[in-house]
Parts: sequence; C-alpha cells; structure tokens
Amino acid sequence: MKFTSRHSAARHSAARNTAAVIGVALAAATLTGCTETAAGGDDAAAAGACEPADVTLVGQVRTESNPYEASWLDGGDAFAEQVGLTQERLTYDSDSTRQQEQISQLLAGDTECLVMNILPNGDSDTPPIVEGAEAAGAYLVTQWNKPADLDVTDYDSWLSHITYDGVESGKQIGDALAEAIGGSGGVVALQGVLDTAAAKDRFVGLEESLAANPDVELLDDQTANFSRAEALEVTKTLLTKHGEDIKGIWAANDDMALGALEALQQAGRDDVAVVGIDAVPDALTAIQDGTMTATVSSDGPWQGGIGLAIGYCVATGELAVEDIADEDRAWFAEQFLIEQDNVADFVSPETSEADFACDSLFSRSQGSMS
Amino acid sequence: MTSPTEAGRGAGRATGTEADGDVVPAQRPRPRRGVSLRDAGPPIALVVIFGVFAVLSPDFRTVSNVQNVLDAAAVLAVVTCGISFVLMMGSIDLSSPGIMGASAITVALLVANNRNDNDLGVLGVVVAVLLAAGLGCLSGLALVVLKVPSFMTTLGISAVGLGVATLMFAGVQPNVSDTMLQGWAVERFLGLAYLTWIALACVLVGWLVQRYSRLGRYAFAIGGAEEVLALSGVKVAPYKVAVFTMAGAFYGLAGVMVTSQLGAGLVQAGRGYDFSAITAAVVGGTLLIGGRGGILHSTVGVLLVTVLTNGLVQVGVSPYWQGGVQGLIVVAAVAAAVIPQRRRNQVTK
Repeated sequence: MKFTSRHSAARHSAARNTAAVIGVALAAATLTGCTETAAGGDDAAAAGACEPADVTLVGQVRTESNPYEASWLDGGDAFAEQVGLTQERLTYDSDSTRQQEQISQLLAGDTECLVMNILPNGDSDTPPIVEGAEAAGAYLVTQWNKPADLDVTDYDSWLSHITYDGVESGKQIGDALAEAIGGSGGVVALQGVLDTAAAKDRFVGLEESLAANPDVELLDDQTANFSRAEALEVTKTLLTKHGEDIKGIWAANDDMALGALEALQQAGRDDVAVVGIDAVPDALTAIQDGTMTATVSSDGPWQGGIGLAIGYCVATGELAVEDIADEDRAWFAEQFLIEQDNVADFVSPETSEADFACDSLFSRSQGSMS
Repeated sequence: MTSPTEAGRGAGRATGTEADGDVVPAQRPRPRRGVSLRDAGPPIALVVIFGVFAVLSPDFRTVSNVQNVLDAAAVLAVVTCGISFVLMMGSIDLSSPGIMGASAITVALLVANNRNDNDLGVLGVVVAVLLAAGLGCLSGLALVVLKVPSFMTTLGISAVGLGVATLMFAGVQPNVSDTMLQGWAVERFLGLAYLTWIALACVLVGWLVQRYSRLGRYAFAIGGAEEVLALSGVKVAPYKVAVFTMAGAFYGLAGVMVTSQLGAGLVQAGRGYDFSAITAAVVGGTLLIGGRGGILHSTVGVLLVTVLTNGLVQVGVSPYWQGGVQGLIVVAAVAAAVIPQRRRNQVTK
C-alpha cells in the first residue's frame, strides 16, 4: 500500500525488496536483498531527497502500560503532528524476539524514507537493529541501551544514540536526600536489577554523594528489582531491622520509591524522606503532596520527539550525517532534578517545537558518552 | 537444637545427619508412618531455618518482624492456595500473573479511585474475583474441551489477562482512594494486617475444600490416577474446570490484595507470582506430578520461602549474594524434605 505514491527510485527498491522477501524466506538471503536495496537507494538518501510528506515515522518502546514509555510515544506523536505526519506506535512487551520481528518487518517494507526512534530492550538487542537499519538504509536513532564497544560513527544510517548519565542522576537524588534529612542520619538504598547498567551507575552516583556527605550513613542496600511490590516488602523488612535509624530512602527508580512510601505509610512513619528517578506521574503527585522529596526526569516526551526529529532532518536533507559532530553521535542528554519548588513545571510535560528544530537538535547534550 | 548434634557428628555428612536425626526415632513403625514422615520434612526445615535466623539476628526474632513475615506471606499464600489444587491434579498453572493483573486493574477501577467516579466498595472486589474466576474457567475449558495441555492454556490465559489489564490501564495508573480497600493493608487485628487474616481464611477454606468436599478429593484422585477415576464412572472434566475456576478466584483475590497493599492497580501486580507459588508449593511437599501434598503443605512452603527472603535481609547478606544463597537453601530444604521419602522408595523398590 505504501508503494503507490513513491517516486521511481523508491518504487524500484520497494519492488526489489518485496521480491527478496517473497523469493527467499531465509533471513540471510533477505539481508542480502536489503543490502542491494540500500546500495541502490543511497544516492537519494545521501542527498536527503525525501519529500517531507514521504517520510515514515516509527516510534518503538516496550509497553504502553508504563506511563513513561506511553509519554515517550505521545511526544513522538507531537513531533509528527508538527511536521504534518503521523507516527507509527509500536510496542513489544519487553520481549526481545518480538522487537526484532517488528524491526525486520519494518525493514522488509519500504525503507527509503523510514525514520525509527527505538528503545532497544537491552544492550544486546541493539546490534541486530543497527545492522538491519544500516543494510536497509533506514534512519535510526536509539536510546538508553547499547553495548559500550558499538561505535555509532562506524555507521551511516545509525544517526545517533541518546542516553542519560546514571551516575549523575544517582548523585543528584542522593544529594537531595542528604539535604532533606539535614545533612546527617541513616539512609537505606533500594537498588534496581543488579546486573543492569542503570542500577549500577545510579548506585555509583549514590556512593559519590555519600562521599560528599560524610555524616550521611548508608545503613543497608538491598535490591527490589525496580518493582513497586518488591520495594514494599523490602522496605517493611528494613524498617523492622533499622527502625527509627532510617531517616531517608534512596530508590533507584520511582516505582520502588512509591513502594517504599506505601510501606512507610503502613508503618505509620511520616518522618522519612524518599527519593527516586524517572518522574512517573504518581511520584510527581507525591512530591506535590510533600510525601516524596525528589525525582529526576529524562523528559519522556522529548525523547519520543527528538529521535524522530534527528531522523526527519537527515531524511529531508536539512542535516547531513557527515555534519553531525562525533560527540553528538552518542551522547548524554540533560536530565532534570524535580523537587517541590519546580514540580509544577513537570506535571503535564509538553514538548516545544523549538526543541525539534533541525539546528538545535543537540542542544540538550551534556557531552559525549565516552 | 539440631545444631549441637550436627556439630558433634562432624561436618562431612551435615545434611545427611540432620535428616537421620529425624528419621531414626520413627524407623521401626515405618510401614504405617511413611506418610507422616514425608510430611514432616518441610515443617522441620521451616523450624530449623527460623531457628538459625533467630540465633544469627536479634532483629529477626522480634515480634514486629514475625508480624512482618506473616504479612509479607499473605499474597503468596493466597496464590499458592489456588495453584496447589491445580498441582494436586497433576496439571500446571502459569496464569497467575495475567489473572492477578486483570483483577488488580479491575478492582482499582471499580472502587473509589482517581480515574472514574465508581465507588462500588466490596462489590468491586467481588466483580474482580468473579472476572478472575472466569479467566480461570477459560483455562480449564481449553484444557478439557480443546485438549490443550494446561501449561499452554494457562500461559495463554495469562497473556489474555495481561492484555485485558493493559487495555483497562489505558496509560494512566488507577490509584485507589477507597478507604476500605486501603485499610485492609494498614488496619490490624490481633497484631496482624487484615490481609493476613484474609490469607489465613483462604488457607482454611482451601483446606476444608481439600479435605471435605468432593472437589478436593477428586482433585487428589485425578492427580493420583485419573484413569482409575474415569473407569469407575466419574466424569472428570467438570471437576478439572472447577479446579481451574477456583484457582482463578484465588488469584483474583490475590490481585485485589496486591492492589490494597500498593494503593494502586498495576498491570504487573502478579509478576513472578506464578513461579514463586510453584516453588513454595513444591518446597512444601506438593509434588508436580500430582496426587500428593495439599494446602497445608504448600502453606508451610510459603512460610519457608518468606522467612528466607526476610531472614537473609535481616542477617545482612549482601544483595549480590541473596539470590544465589536463597536458591541453595531452597534446594537443600527440598532435598532434606525428600530424604525420608527417598529412603522409603529404595526400601520398597
């Protein structure tokens, strides 16, 4: 259905691509077919020959039942509307296999002016997505997860990888917690899934914050696997173990912070400061109410828009891949500490058109990843 | 009290000696007491593990921590009640994450909440449990009518439940403002949260059903020898459907309980409960091949698992070690529990 209104180069490649898919079911053979397509379509792509109306925008996240990821897709919709297009919303339920299937399906279609803003399920899911996009010549922006040794500058179609400095956010909320308990006292930490980079980095950030606040003592650190229910149980146990010594709870994400808040409420404690990361709606409400101290926002709607904006600008020729500085190919984006005094600004986050203008795409960069 | 014996006999046969200590006094009347011996393993393991933690950690042996352990066991106990009947039949049930998720979101949207104007109170809870029972019934029907193995039907129903939950979730977390439902997790009677009493009631109901109703007895018989039962003229299929329906109702109630604890309806309310409930049931002596164990066994298993989780934190085991240590202790506990049975089998073989 997408083949009808394309200019001739695109029609050629589409036809060839379809032939490849129909002709050979083997994945290897399909890949070869796509490579040819990319070679054929490269001239058009390099010149950024896509008409704005021909661009296909795709946003892919794990699940819409997570408010943060739902807001990401909403941000993508906002950008798409800004340029008069619609975004295709894809979710894969945290299932790596399903994510790869969806990507293969996309890449088997018309990839000439395809722009993808992808949240890979884990580090190891990124390489096949990148290889597939490169072979098909689709414009790709990834966020959060990529193996450290996979270098974006080795690729032409993989325009950029955006992530956040977990050490920084862990430290930001650690400092906010220390301030909230008056600079001294006992705190406990609820870690995320221990073998994820996010959990590790955020905890390193807490340790840096503790080093800077010598009177704050870490009484205990436990994992609650980023889960609200587990955090509830672990916090209850820690409350019986340390009792009144606990002045603050550092949680590696808001879900755990909310579980901890529930445990505190059930134990009748209202003298404990709680911090988290992610800025989910319930956490913002809790900060407004004063029951929670701080969280950090990565600005989900902006993430959903910016990935599409980078791809769109390159696809339409307003930005050339060669002109993207190396430090903007894999970068840390700005994150925002939210406390009671500025929470109102984040309750209904909106994207601004200026953020997605082709000449200010990288304005939120906090530096290159490596 | 087992520790001095162990120390006295030397380290080499640590696990073996512990079990021998249990076996020796009852060895003579073995033919008749085989069953009670087999049943004694898990409770003994529970007592030993409880004792070890109590010795190691002064924080563990406080009254408030024991309350905490019982409160923490409540949801798992209810899920395990449901799954025990299915396991007794020799089937397996992986539907709890989906059914619990669906029921959690349903109840959160039906009682007073921040998403709509509903305020059905207890009726909301009943509807959620009925919905869950309906989903469980579907698992059972797919099993007996379509002859799909329970492993697959329940996995499918779990996905259906999660799908229903995600649809109702619609991107905005329903937060519960209903004071009754919130009170269940906070209010206490005789030192235990209402939820813990609900769990105790479930265990009692489950035990009565297992012990005194035709449904419970047939569940056992189906797991033991389905063919015999069928040959003696019993229509097995309706009982199978009934067992899955009842299990679904238990999961639904568990989903409601999680919602009460968290003050919000989560799609992920039941995440991980399928395998922790199976673990608890098996640790307690309910066999996966069916026909053995029961509600009380499984409940002991639930307590064992919960005491472990709590104790490892209280004792101060590093979180990086906890997963592994917990696994090892569970395997050791199961091994210790089946030693009497293994001996008996060797004798009879």
